[in-house]
Amino acid sequence: MEKFKKIISQYPFLGFIIAYLILLTVPSIFFTDLYQSHLSSLIFINIIVAAGLNIVKGYCGQVTVGHVGLYAVGSYTAGCMFMYLGSDLWMTLPAAIIVTGLFGIAFGIPSFRLEGPYLALATLGGGEAIRLFIENGEFFNSTYGISSISQPVIFGVPFDTPDKYYYISLPVMIIAVYFSYSILKSSIGRAFMSVREDPISAAASGIDIKKYKILAFILSAMFAGAAGAVYAHLPPGYIHPNNYTVIEMVTFLAMVVFGGLGHIWGGIIGAIIITIVYDLTRPLYEYQLFIFGLTIVLTILFMPKGIGGFIDKIFIDKRFKKKKVEEGK
Amino acid sequence: MLLKTKNLMKAFGGLKAINKVDFELPAGEIRGIIGPNGSGKSTFFNLVSGVYDPDPGSYIEFDGHDITNEPPHKIGALGLSRTFQLLRLYQDMSVINNVMSGYHTRVKYKFFDAVIGRKKIWDQEKEIKDEMMELLSFVGLADYAELNASELSGGQRRLLVLARAIAMKPKLLMLDEPAAGLSPVNVDNLMKIIMQLKDKYGLTLIIIEHILKVVMDTCNTVTVLDHGQKIAEGTPSQVKDDNAVIEAYLGKKMNDEEMRKALAV
Repeated sequence: MEKFKKIISQYPFLGFIIAYLILLTVPSIFFTDLYQSHLSSLIFINIIVAAGLNIVKGYCGQVTVGHVGLYAVGSYTAGCMFMYLGSDLWMTLPAAIIVTGLFGIAFGIPSFRLEGPYLALATLGGGEAIRLFIENGEFFNSTYGISSISQPVIFGVPFDTPDKYYYISLPVMIIAVYFSYSILKSSIGRAFMSVREDPISAAASGIDIKKYKILAFILSAMFAGAAGAVYAHLPPGYIHPNNYTVIEMVTFLAMVVFGGLGHIWGGIIGAIIITIVYDLTRPLYEYQLFIFGLTIVLTILFMPKGIGGFIDKIFIDKRFKKKKVEEGK
Repeated sequence: MLLKTKNLMKAFGGLKAINKVDFELPAGEIRGIIGPNGSGKSTFFNLVSGVYDPDPGSYIEFDGHDITNEPPHKIGALGLSRTFQLLRLYQDMSVINNVMSGYHTRVKYKFFDAVIGRKKIWDQEKEIKDEMMELLSFVGLADYAELNASELSGGQRRLLVLARAIAMKPKLLMLDEPAAGLSPVNVDNLMKIIMQLKDKYGLTLIIIEHILKVVMDTCNTVTVLDHGQKIAEGTPSQVKDDNAVIEAYLGKKMNDEEMRKALAV
């Protein structure tokens, strides 16, 4: 076991490959209907968004409430490329990542001067502006939405049903999470955290604050763009401006807050739990928003670091105590 | 000269916080800066480290580079490290992460290596962590490495900011009241650690301190500021007997004639 741990710490991508292989076998063992595959794909997409949001909100501490707008940019880049050029996922995914990354710059620039609630307002405006622009744009099929976006075909096999699309969304999610892991575990992640904790002190340590703020916005936008593109191609391949409202934004925020702001697995834990809960409580539609709002408030009050931070704390305290006991002897 | 300022000025509205200060510091020296509250000591630090922009006409040179209008992170990258009077710890980060973020300017790998997560990243990260753990055990915080910085005691926080400032292996270390709020025993302990670190890393030090014993015992030369102006400079014993300094700290020295006049009114 020790040896295994050591190898994983030297080659973390092996861990991700193992996770990938395990998740590959899950549908054939546990899933009984197509809906479960569909839900899993949704979970994967939400994981990508939440992992990205965790970079900018959890690590870099920039309060952005317009992230859903970037998600919409990713989706509509894919949707429009399909509609006008007939591109498939292999073309639209990289394009969506790049285009959304550029939008991320626009969202990041206000963060140079604005902080906290003011930045939240600015980004909220940005996100809503994007949605309204799409809703009123002929080019984007306005309120009709873009429908029957194609599913990818590999070696002549179309991945056009939820159970097959699972195998498309899964690797994208694994790769995205791997990138977020290696970024956040390296010096870049530490620089993000120090910008969040104290910009002046970070600058004195030689960290370029503006560079890291904009980098956080670009990276998280790229994650949102990738998620958006995967979502656009998700069978039945239908996107509508109403999928990108503030309500969705609150859901994404709830994922990151509940999972653990600034915890490396925070967004992922939150995305899994919240997506499943969201689905199970669909019959109680009227109360869902109330419940998510309450979840955010209660989590911040009683578990400010979310589930991830809570679990970490238990382990660290345990190790600290153990060390003290050993020294006592 | 490692650090040189010429005609350094900074005004906040009408208040001249720093008024035409010329300052020269050769490498290897321990310089003390003293002066009453509000005399411009911390402003001087903020100007040199780039937190404030100096007024036009000022000139600051560090290690042969003109840093007058450089942003703080570039000045930091040149090897000028500082601590803050109010500590400015990263409260919500673990102790080891606090110190490792101080290492930032010395990280060798490139951005894309980190995104892709190449093996050399993890090897280097491990090296950095080992080196920083060594530094932590030197200042006596190794046991607390995984705890949050906010869980440390006041004295331990002072040691942690010191370790964070050292982590970048600076040429010049500027300490803003390193011993404020410490008990006499802890002050001695802290100064011992600072001196050991100075020898170990070949640092040049500037220390702002109100505890005169610390300044008089450790500094080679002392600069005295009052109302933003340099009123004296010299060895501790010279400064101690300087009339201007005594006036600034204790009040004016009067002869009998003046005293009688003052009392009669």
